[in-house]
Amino acid sequence: MGWVMRIKAIRWLGTAFWMSITVALILPVGAQSLTDFEKRVHEFTLDNGLKFLVLERHEAPVVSFHTYADVGSVDEVKGITGMAHVFEHMAFKGSKTVGTLDYEGEVQGLERVDEAFLALKKERSQGNGADPQRLVELQQRLEEAQEKASQFMVPDEFEEAFIRAGSVGLNASTSSDATRYVVNLPSNKVELWMALESDRFLNPVLREFYKEKDVVKEERRMRTENRPRGRLMEEFLAVAFKAHPYGEPTIGHMSDVETMTRSEARAFFQKYYVPSNFTVAIVGDVHLEEIRSLAETYFGRLSGAPKPDLVETVEPPQSGQRRVVVEDPSQPWVVMGYHTPDINHADNAALEAMSDILGTGRTSRLYKSLVKEKKIAVNASAFQGFPGSKYPGLFVFFATPARGHTTQECEEAVSAEIERLKTERVSPQDLEKFKTRSRASVVRALASNRGLARQLTFYEVVTGDWRNLFKQLDEFDRVTDQDIQRVAREYFTSKNSVVGVIETRQSDR
Amino acid sequence: MREGRSILARSVMGLMVSLWIAGSAMAQTPYQDLQYPKLNDIRVPEVEQVTLSNGMKLFVLEDHELPLIHLSARIRVGSIDESPEKVGLASLTGTVMRTGGTHSRTGEEIDEELERIAASVETGIGLNSGSASMSVLTKDLGTGLAILADILMNPAFPEEMIQLGKLRQRSAISRRNDSVNRLASREFGKLIYGSDSPYARSSEYATIDSITREDLISFHQRFFYPNNMMLAVWGDFQTPDMIQKIEEAFQGWEKRELQVSLPPKVNYEFRKTVNLIQKDDVNQTNIYMGHIGGLRNDPDYFALVLMNRILGSGFTSRLFKEVRSRQGLAYSVFGYYSANFNHEGIFYIGCQTKSETTVQAIRALTAEVEKMAASEVSDDELELARESYLNAFVFNFDSKGEIVNRLMTYAYFGYPLDFLEKAKEKIEKVTKSDILRVVRKHLHPDQMQILAVGRSQDFDEPLSVLGPVNQMDITIPEP
Repeated sequence: MGWVMRIKAIRWLGTAFWMSITVALILPVGAQSLTDFEKRVHEFTLDNGLKFLVLERHEAPVVSFHTYADVGSVDEVKGITGMAHVFEHMAFKGSKTVGTLDYEGEVQGLERVDEAFLALKKERSQGNGADPQRLVELQQRLEEAQEKASQFMVPDEFEEAFIRAGSVGLNASTSSDATRYVVNLPSNKVELWMALESDRFLNPVLREFYKEKDVVKEERRMRTENRPRGRLMEEFLAVAFKAHPYGEPTIGHMSDVETMTRSEARAFFQKYYVPSNFTVAIVGDVHLEEIRSLAETYFGRLSGAPKPDLVETVEPPQSGQRRVVVEDPSQPWVVMGYHTPDINHADNAALEAMSDILGTGRTSRLYKSLVKEKKIAVNASAFQGFPGSKYPGLFVFFATPARGHTTQECEEAVSAEIERLKTERVSPQDLEKFKTRSRASVVRALASNRGLARQLTFYEVVTGDWRNLFKQLDEFDRVTDQDIQRVAREYFTSKNSVVGVIETRQSDR
Repeated sequence: MREGRSILARSVMGLMVSLWIAGSAMAQTPYQDLQYPKLNDIRVPEVEQVTLSNGMKLFVLEDHELPLIHLSARIRVGSIDESPEKVGLASLTGTVMRTGGTHSRTGEEIDEELERIAASVETGIGLNSGSASMSVLTKDLGTGLAILADILMNPAFPEEMIQLGKLRQRSAISRRNDSVNRLASREFGKLIYGSDSPYARSSEYATIDSITREDLISFHQRFFYPNNMMLAVWGDFQTPDMIQKIEEAFQGWEKRELQVSLPPKVNYEFRKTVNLIQKDDVNQTNIYMGHIGGLRNDPDYFALVLMNRILGSGFTSRLFKEVRSRQGLAYSVFGYYSANFNHEGIFYIGCQTKSETTVQAIRALTAEVEKMAASEVSDDELELARESYLNAFVFNFDSKGEIVNRLMTYAYFGYPLDFLEKAKEKIEKVTKSDILRVVRKHLHPDQMQILAVGRSQDFDEPLSVLGPVNQMDITIPEP
């Protein structure tokens, strides 16, 4: 649990899965028609606004569940960065009935823990003026309160119930745009999922909150502070977005994680974890009508509330290139970004085509130029939609310089390929390859229950209709060489760019 | 109405059904009281096994759900077969076979051809197995298979692509200390197997520099022949037709006298050591501790599978509960007794914790291993481990590729093809005393080698409280 997904998420978008009628026409006899796949997806919405997508697939007696909560670090405000992710961790801690011996007794214990934490936090906020002796006492009081509250607890009951039932891949992840809860079960355990998954969002109890923050702090050290590229990406986003919350780290700033309270987490939950903000996909050996009735029984218990507002902040245009450097003993690395629109913008298809032609595979322009011909990099890639695609984000390039070569050489070579797109039209073969590859990706994606569940929820939430998983290809088919030239000229300007590099220096700590 | 709800529910079934039809919701059942219907049958398809006249072994399984065909191969070769002066040769050979093209097709032509049809063909050589893979749309089988066969039989190894492959390897060497976790796990492997062991050694600038084109050509010639190879193929085809196509694709490739060398022996002497790799630029310590592990054909393996679940793997393991959830010492904590097919694995436990709790975490980890050896696990722990294993067993069969590749892997390492099914039967019978017995036999909490990678001046206590400290040097030797 607790993957803060960033680059991973965008990789998946970069190779997003598309489909069109034409695929069905090339299928040999005997293979299942792909248009049938689209027809087999069913949807229903509960009275409280919670939407379900169901795809029956009876190949094996297993089922994948994917709960997509339309809340991510983009919904945080200054001071509570990391909250969406901390809440994701807390969603494994049980409820009023799961994880406790006596909720009434426990809740009082948890309140004592909160009081102890607030007292400690207040003393700490004195900074140098804090009384060291009192800090020790307050820390001790917090630990004692935690110990007392834990006596009411049945540790890890939530995870245990799933794991005993034969779950695999029980996990969750948080990104800028979303929080996702996933699990795969033998298909006779559908009702178990219904009971536990609805309960965790109906009556969550944020027990072990302050211990779990310690776990998250270790996660931050692991992912960001002790990973040179993690450090650079945090700096890079902070420089790229001065107004929009895409600039804040999903894992949160250390001091925010340290000072956040359980009541802040509860308020965040109450605002964002409402049924209309959830979409669930269930793919596997299930029956639609059974799913529908169980969903009504279990998820119908959640009370409806308005869907939270979208982020209103708009990132203002840059007035010149922005650059950021991380000095580190590790080897050099470079990331380049250009501000581009969100996934629902008309230019998205042309930008996806660009990322394919520039950055996918051994025949891509970046690989040919930087890796094979100039031999200045060991890899180079391109993605559209970073760190998210719900709001306008970045088109990014990553390049790893070969031994003895510099980030500057890589940066220049990437820029040269961008310039080439502005001046020369791409060939019909390049465009065709992009379209064929996109079609094939969708075929390959259909093989996996969990992959499908992930894709269906993403397209439903972020583009407003799961069918866009299939319809995107029509838009891809309409992309022309002129479109690519136009978007290259419009978005890929020096003024609109952000560059981040790791420069190798010996440690001076 | 579903079958097998609670007894109460069943006794009032008639009433519930009518309420149902009237549109009322049925009651929510607390999860502990749920009764589950019988799981639908796991249909394990029969895999066709054929040996071609040239000695190549095939494992074939049809799957018509999607218009795709996949293939994967194992070739009996590995980095264990390269000489110590030329570490990196196996990997380089595996890379350049694909990127360098063949006598009749350049690497670039192959790239263009495959990407035009959204197909892939890849090759590689790992520790003790070479691999090749292909994935194509059904209609492109001919193209994909022809390229795959050509690459395996007739790689050209052009000098230019060898140089590019070497540049990539040198770059990887220059970056090998940049990821603290990877560096820790690599160096821990050296502590266990020895830094010159084929199971742990690293390539260096000097070993890469000494590799020549002739080396690649003869390495390929020595190991790539049809009766030294197995193929698994699954997807949208008719079996007899597929067998014939593979036979044709590899036509003219002659079988040879099979040379099978035994895997290098592991000589391990149990000992307690404390090791430090000083890293000044981190605020978190990577901890690895443990000793040599075992083999999968050991009769104790089945009890160790459940032992692993109880000690260290997953959310419900003791390490996760204690070191992460209760003590908040780490995000990443792990513990595993690994048993390989043909050489001893490693028993390792570890975590990543802030510098200031390094020794505390080492003690917490050690305590969990000691507890395993001190007394039997509880009934609940054993049953949770067993139930989760058995209930999740179905996931071994949820994709055709998994089924056919597993069979090939067992065959490759000379294991019975029904090893998994037999494992299940044995795991059903494991007792608490079995677990205690195998823990006492295979785990040695007082004989663990400890490695900490971190900023030692910030540790809560000096590592020397645990024993004499050996400081390890990870400077990358210049060519």
